[in-house]
Amino acid sequence: MAITDAGVMYGLLAVGAGLATGLAGIGAGVGEQGIGAAVVGVVAEEPGFLGKGLFLMLLPETLIIFGLAVSLILMFAWTPFAAFMQ
Amino acid sequence: MLRPVQMSRVVVAGSKDVMEPVIEKLHELNLMHLVNYSGGQQSFEPGKTVGRGKEFSENLIKLRSVSRYLDIKSKAPDVKFGESEIVSQMDDLLGRLGDDVTQTYERIAAIDAEVKTKQDQINALRPLSVLPVPLELYQGYDSLAVFVGTVASAVDAEVAKISSNSEVFSGSYKNGLVAAVFAPIGQAADVQAVLAGHGYSEISVPKLSGTPDAAIASLEAESKNLLSEKEPLVKKLKDLRKQNEDKILAADEYLSMQTQKTDAPLRFATSNNAFVIDGYVPTAEFERFKSSIEGAAGGKVHVEKLSDAEMEKCVESGEDVPSKMDNPGIVKPFELITRLFSIPEYKEFDPTLLIFIFFPIMFGMILGDVGYGLMILVVVALLKKKFRTEGWNQLINIVIISSVWAIIFGVVFGELFGPMGLWGKVFGQMAHEEILALEESGLFWGEGFFGPLGRIGPAEMFPMYRLATNAVLMLIGVSIFIGVLHCSVGSILGIKTELNYGEKKHAYFERLPVLIFQVAFALLLLGLIMGVMPIVYIMALLIVVSIVMLVMGPEGVMGATHLPFYVSNLISYLRLLAIGLASVGVAFAANKLAFQVLMPMLSGGEHLTMVAYVLGVVVLLMVHFINVLLGILSPFMHPLRLHYVEMFTKFYAQRGGGVEYSPFGHVRRYLKA
Repeated sequence: MAITDAGVMYGLLAVGAGLATGLAGIGAGVGEQGIGAAVVGVVAEEPGFLGKGLFLMLLPETLIIFGLAVSLILMFAWTPFAAFMQ
Repeated sequence: MLRPVQMSRVVVAGSKDVMEPVIEKLHELNLMHLVNYSGGQQSFEPGKTVGRGKEFSENLIKLRSVSRYLDIKSKAPDVKFGESEIVSQMDDLLGRLGDDVTQTYERIAAIDAEVKTKQDQINALRPLSVLPVPLELYQGYDSLAVFVGTVASAVDAEVAKISSNSEVFSGSYKNGLVAAVFAPIGQAADVQAVLAGHGYSEISVPKLSGTPDAAIASLEAESKNLLSEKEPLVKKLKDLRKQNEDKILAADEYLSMQTQKTDAPLRFATSNNAFVIDGYVPTAEFERFKSSIEGAAGGKVHVEKLSDAEMEKCVESGEDVPSKMDNPGIVKPFELITRLFSIPEYKEFDPTLLIFIFFPIMFGMILGDVGYGLMILVVVALLKKKFRTEGWNQLINIVIISSVWAIIFGVVFGELFGPMGLWGKVFGQMAHEEILALEESGLFWGEGFFGPLGRIGPAEMFPMYRLATNAVLMLIGVSIFIGVLHCSVGSILGIKTELNYGEKKHAYFERLPVLIFQVAFALLLLGLIMGVMPIVYIMALLIVVSIVMLVMGPEGVMGATHLPFYVSNLISYLRLLAIGLASVGVAFAANKLAFQVLMPMLSGGEHLTMVAYVLGVVVLLMVHFINVLLGILSPFMHPLRLHYVEMFTKFYAQRGGGVEYSPFGHVRRYLKA
């Protein structure tokens, strides 16, 4: 089924963008919770580990940026994208 | 600047009779990073404490206990003291003041303990006040067992069944019952069993006389008396603290310095008649160091540094050569960020300068709002007077530099408390003809939801309005460009670091291909977007070349599997745009909510009512306040991450980090130099 109505298409794009960022956020959060807890534990014993702990904790955060990149492309590059589709 | 200060391994050897003047001089120079003697050489042993070491450490312990009683913490000094001043007052500080403080503190502690005992007694007596038994009758019997406590239900009948000679008093207290049971001692066990069945919990009756109420009254009066005695004592401690705070800190510093000196020989190698001190001195300072030490010892000491070749061997054998970061004043605060991650190893690069360049720009690009930038700048500049410790000061300086960039980017993005904010009011709206003209010349970056904003800057380019489509697309490009630049600088330093360590294969087949890959990948995307096919082909070829080089590298095929990591590194820089957009979004929502929803809705008619105005402003301030708080946190954390994860992994702390240069000596804080 081809989507011809621009309004519907824009709506679906917005839903897709929301899902991309939201699901990526959940994923990153799940990833970070375990690391965060472990890092707090280590830092309590050895404060010098804070920088490296932060590094480890921030690693999964890239995931949400991927989701966000997809959303941005969907939301802001929509016009060129639509033109490309036709 | 990009490398830690060059060090020389230095040995000082001399006769034991000049050891004390040499230590004195070493401490004063504050130049030599000592390497502890760990034994292993025949006829050399670690030295022993010299001079009045024992006395100094004892005094230090006494002084620390006094400062603990007075609750003195390290702070920026208000008055500084001369060393002789402290020495002459030391006996007074430790003797008279010390005794005074200790006695006062102990009296306060005793009062606290006594008041607590009395309070416990009062708590025990309160339930007893419902029983008609004077306190002295609860104890002192030979033939009677006494049980006093709370029970869940009445026990009279059951106790009477066991023993007709018993007597039970009970009364209700709060939600339960209080009972006192007097029974012949022979039946005590049976009575106890009955009580246990009723949820008995014992109250220990204080050894007092009279009615419970009278006893409570007198106990309360006594504790009140005690507390009134405590009050002037607490005030006295406070006054003593105020008068002596700086002096005690200075004395602490003096004693610490003295014990440092007297304990120094524990780190030296000594024989019967000689001593040897081993350590590192910055190469540039060596001549001054040598002449000062020789002068202090009257020539009875030999100072020598290892030759460069020997030093090189020393580094290669994995000795911990200390690193002293060397950055000019304005860059120095950023050492905080470097240090938080790791100290650079002696042969590694010190990334502080790069952090100084990139970090504030990234912060500014994310926050990018004149209003927020100014607010943070003012608040932080005010805080600077309050927090005078070094760490805080560095952090504050970092934020100051960063917020200046936030203001600059605020002008670029046309944001003054949000995009719609006050910008239009300050710079005016743009005329329609101008927009048309700009559109024609390709300089119009979109007008966003609220119409065109007044433009400034060369060719009237600014603001570029972050929420408009064109600007978002362009900022995606700018973010990736910054990413490629940032990562490439990291990769170049990575190549040089590997060469410094003599790892040619790692340099040319692990670091170099990554550099090629990053640049080629970015140019390939650019070529695709601009539709210039020759660039795309060349870049695709380069990417293949870099993959082949990685496969030839030390890790083989595994090396090439890291490529997705490097791609994600570049995409990660999109956060520069994305987090900024989030904060613009909130600011935008705040303005829209206040000016276009709340105010018109509450006023109803054409004219703004007072209530609508006030409510609108309150909501506006609240949302902006929250946004500016978030606006300090996330623009700080995310560039930090971009440095730690994306850049440092290319060159920094790959070998476990270095040792910080901490020379033997002391920087005086509370004592006059």
